Amino acid sequence: MTSLKRSLESDPASANFSSKTYVRSTKSGKVQKIVREVYLRQDIPCSSKLCSRCRNTAPANAVGVVSPFVLSDKPAGTKEYPQGHYLVPDTNALLNAMDLFEQSTAFYDVIILQTVLEELRNRSLPLYNRLIGLTKSEDKRFYVFFNEFRLETYVTREEGESINDRNDRAVRRAVQWYNSHLAQTKSKKLPTVVMLTDDRGNIEKAKAENVPATRLREYVSGLENGERLLDMIVESQEKGISRDKKAADLLYPEHFSLSKMMTGVKNGMLHQGIFNVSPYNYLEGSIKVPAFPKALLILGRDNINRAVDGDVVVVEVLPKDQWKEPSTKIIEEEAVTKNENADGDEGEDLVTEKERRALQEEVKKTHITSTEGRAQPTAKVVGVIKRNWRQYVGHVDQSSVSQSAKQGRKQESVFLVPMDKKIPKIRIRTRQAGELLGKRILVTIDSWDRDSRHPIGHFVRSLGELETKAAETEALLLEYDVQYRPFPKTVLDCLPKEGHDWRVPTSTDDPGWKGREDLRPLIICSIDPVGCQDIDDALHARPLPNGNYEVGVHIADVSHFVKPSNAMDHEASIRGTTVYLVDKRIDMLPMLLGTDLCSLKPYVERYAFSTLWEIDADANIVNVRFTKSVIKSREAFSYEQAQLRIDDASQQDELTQGMRTLLMLSKKLKQKRMDAGALSLSSPEVKVQMESETSDPIDVKTKELLDTNSLVEEFMLLANISVADKIYQSFPQTAILRRHGAPPKTNFDELSNQLKIKRGLELRCDSSRALADSLDACTDPKEPFFNTLIRIMATRCMMSAEYFCAGTQAYPEFRHYGLASEIYTHFTSPIRRYADLVAHRQLAAAIDYEPMHPAVRSRGKLEAVCKNINVRHRNAQLAGRASIAYYVGQALKGRVADEEGFVMKIFSNGFVVLVPRFGIESVIRLRDLAEPEPDSTFDAENYVLKTSGSRDLSVELFQKVIVRISDAKDEATGKRGGQDGAGQGVFKNGRIHALDRVGTI
Amino acid sequence: MPLDTSTYNLALLRVDGRRWNELRQQKAQMGVQPSADGSAYLEMGNTKIQCIISGPNERDTKSTSSASTAPTSGGQGATVAVSIMIAPFATVDRKRRGRNDKRVQEMQTTIASGLAAAVQGQSYGPRSTIHISLNVLSQDGSLLACLINAASLALVDAGVPMTDYLVACTAGSTSSYAAADEEADPLLDLNTQEEQELPFLTLATMGATDKVVAMVCESRVQLTRLEGMMATAADGCKGVRDFLDGVVRDKGELMVQEGAIGRGEVVSSMDLD
Repeated sequence: MTSLKRSLESDPASANFSSKTYVRSTKSGKVQKIVREVYLRQDIPCSSKLCSRCRNTAPANAVGVVSPFVLSDKPAGTKEYPQGHYLVPDTNALLNAMDLFEQSTAFYDVIILQTVLEELRNRSLPLYNRLIGLTKSEDKRFYVFFNEFRLETYVTREEGESINDRNDRAVRRAVQWYNSHLAQTKSKKLPTVVMLTDDRGNIEKAKAENVPATRLREYVSGLENGERLLDMIVESQEKGISRDKKAADLLYPEHFSLSKMMTGVKNGMLHQGIFNVSPYNYLEGSIKVPAFPKALLILGRDNINRAVDGDVVVVEVLPKDQWKEPSTKIIEEEAVTKNENADGDEGEDLVTEKERRALQEEVKKTHITSTEGRAQPTAKVVGVIKRNWRQYVGHVDQSSVSQSAKQGRKQESVFLVPMDKKIPKIRIRTRQAGELLGKRILVTIDSWDRDSRHPIGHFVRSLGELETKAAETEALLLEYDVQYRPFPKTVLDCLPKEGHDWRVPTSTDDPGWKGREDLRPLIICSIDPVGCQDIDDALHARPLPNGNYEVGVHIADVSHFVKPSNAMDHEASIRGTTVYLVDKRIDMLPMLLGTDLCSLKPYVERYAFSTLWEIDADANIVNVRFTKSVIKSREAFSYEQAQLRIDDASQQDELTQGMRTLLMLSKKLKQKRMDAGALSLSSPEVKVQMESETSDPIDVKTKELLDTNSLVEEFMLLANISVADKIYQSFPQTAILRRHGAPPKTNFDELSNQLKIKRGLELRCDSSRALADSLDACTDPKEPFFNTLIRIMATRCMMSAEYFCAGTQAYPEFRHYGLASEIYTHFTSPIRRYADLVAHRQLAAAIDYEPMHPAVRSRGKLEAVCKNINVRHRNAQLAGRASIAYYVGQALKGRVADEEGFVMKIFSNGFVVLVPRFGIESVIRLRDLAEPEPDSTFDAENYVLKTSGSRDLSVELFQKVIVRISDAKDEATGKRGGQDGAGQGVFKNGRIHALDRVGTI
Repeated sequence: MPLDTSTYNLALLRVDGRRWNELRQQKAQMGVQPSADGSAYLEMGNTKIQCIISGPNERDTKSTSSASTAPTSGGQGATVAVSIMIAPFATVDRKRRGRNDKRVQEMQTTIASGLAAAVQGQSYGPRSTIHISLNVLSQDGSLLACLINAASLALVDAGVPMTDYLVACTAGSTSSYAAADEEADPLLDLNTQEEQELPFLTLATMGATDKVVAMVCESRVQLTRLEGMMATAADGCKGVRDFLDGVVRDKGELMVQEGAIGRGEVVSSMDLD
């Protein structure tokens, strides 16, 4: 018998070979033991430009290209290391201070070890991705050194050694090797390789082993602008282990362990969902879980247990005797916790007396009404699966800053009040409190420990003075995560070299003409808002000999310029959409394409993607075809100009006739759509008029809708539907479509109840048709706006439409509820929406114009794209609205206006008023009505709030009131806004005097 | 958890520290089961295969019921019957496979028809069968390739005449199908993690020639990358062939030293190439 076993020593390769064993647990809770091979080698370069030896052994890729060396031969020096230095951060340094490494003033020539990279990836994927981004940026000079694969720097874990100790040792070994390796270069100015860590034990060991090491804090304070950078180091790590926590200090209940939560969710005891905070009451949250049709309520700081809006949390349903009604009270964090001290946290109860009182009335009421069964199930958060923390924009709460700090450089804790009211106050420690006052600043949350009432964060950067246009715009963009940086060079390199001189080739033999139809003879025009530069679409119509009409929608052929998977495509897919602010447009594609080469400008030839229908006089589609084309638009109209031209009977030219045909057909199409049950929904839309030179807002107008608006809209809808059909037929798995789910019935419960009680009207929501009809019936002969108000409120009960990949849903789920269409997609605005660009590529493949690119065919990839653009789309809308709200506030600056408003929502201590003229919505609290705050009785059943005492009046839902809107800067919050002031209630009440901010930003 | 394959471009290093064109560590031994007609044990990285040959025997339909068979020499020679047993402990999760596992059967068929092309079966006659039992002891990627290589080695040990070694190797590409990265490098000899994350193919060639006997590719890959991957895999096959040849020669030398065969005989029978 021969034995298979061989001793390792006998194998010559064994010195270069090791294996790695580790244990991991799967999602289902199983423990797996994984064994991996590790091949150790000596040809991993140090990547320093000083080193010539490594250059000889540097590896090449399959085509023989050797990656350039990264680390500078003349790295920057500091006081401590005058010869220059390379930094080697450990994992904690990166975890705590990634913002620092992204600074442009310091932190160059950094060596990232594989050990650190792996650890960081395990701890935080977002940080890992940011770090990978850094290593790709050429000017930061970050180099990833694979120390675990280099023979000299590989360390084996010793017996009894914890994995963390082993990793620390690996880092020290690598630093040691780097120093001795560089010493062999015989360079005159030898840079030191310095380990950067926050771990005291690690530093001590490094000293003992003679490895250059420094603490992050010490290193940063040695830098030139150290003080500013110091604030960016994560606060909570500071105190470190030194602080022993006594049980009494712990304010919040402990979170469950992940496995306990998973088991609980699996067996149905616990529920997982996304935590949402009520915009009117920071102590009330709700969570939608699959097990219940209605959202669960989460009331009070205790039950919310450190969850922040947007987190994925696990909740436990509370026993029935603790079920409550949703709050009818406005509770604002600013007001309740105004005087809390940011520094002192000790000995306080979790729920302060004030908060308790604020919630008290709720409890009282519950006891009366709970018998009637209106109470909703409540729940408490038992753990957080995934934090959804991002960077938050806000301002420092002035009252939390001590007087001394305004001059001195003492470090102190201050509160940051986020712009988003759903986010709790964040405590940050800073040395520059005085300077930060009155500034918009950006912070991140680092942690929220059990012993801290508020989350702890750190300062990232200042955006500028509050209220300046630049700061507020940037704040808005950051808050809605809009990518607003200029396009990088790699993206601009993808543009056609001819730049603005690019023309459609004159010779039809040019490859650009391949597969294109010559539609230049057609009389085509575009209709857009005034001043529109990125013209996506153009139209034409002409009679056919058989009495039918040929109608064409021509869309900018963006996919000709943006090829899949290049840098520009990648950037566009991340941006997802163009964002329109009042005074600014953040483009999805570079200007050259968006406003020139792709834009279907008049009088020039342009590439287009055309949809051509034959439509009979009753607007039935006889047939449809799609083709890439070359067109020449005859005119670019604004909606108003087009309307005038159509109405002007003296104009009888072909172009005007065409437009009249289009208008006639669009009216019929619209009627058909309405008959099918399409909803006409509403949201308050206003337009800010700007002074042309200073672009200061001067007035606010509500948007007017002309027939021509609906003309364009109808044909765009028609094109989208036709394209959706076509790409779904060709690619049933991967077609990119847009759906709008039917809203669950419960969404309308409140609104229909309100309508029934207040007006005796019935809202039916069995189908979109029934809803459309019952919405039509919701009118008030005396008040034309009432119908719009109900539509606005109904819109808020709807689901939001979303992009999806055809394979992920069953066909009946494709339905677009609002448009009452079986299938829908976005095709008509490829300049400003990425989804349209994908649809273009798919359609091009469907008509065999070009082969399908793999990126457009991979379902996984498309799903990721859909997910991203859904978020971007929503954010773009919100950012646009916030921008309008800000400018409305600016337009009202220094003015007092009495305006009509409507009561939309009513609380026991205030109510929400919508002012249609400005499209703004605002809370009026009782204490705004009169001084002192009037007493009130609230009839929740009938939605009536009666006040007495200092002011007697009665406010009810849907009531028309006159509010005074005036502009006032609230010193305490630093927010600009208006104040709702006195006015006449039209129906019966006397004067309302209210003070409130409107158009808060 | 270690990094994934996306970090390749950072330093041109794969998840286990290899370069793009490096094979894993290989170990092999012949005659590990002296009671069998031929046997071999092969390791490529952590994929470990034992192969036992019995026969050529008279055809026995009972024992070939779960095996895949292929006739050699156009039906004139012996039949090759391949059966694969994957040990329940071979994978990370302990898992027992049924006899009718479709993936296993497909591999059996591929190996049988591949070997049938290499084996000179006419010296045995059409009523005889060569049974090749492959036992997978541990699995870490490139399974099909390892099985083919182990079977080749065991056939040499059994003294079955072949035109050349049938050798196989896998090749992949550093970027997934959807990423559509133009500058993707081809990769040689993938391990499990790489197989799970990247597109790959298995290529079997006749010895060191570029004659492709079998190619299996189950993942989506851009056509433009295919040529590079095939060339890389063919290079890998050469490396495997050299390695196997070395093992056979070492074994021969050992047999001479031990006096199992005379020196004169060695030269004629070992000078196959």
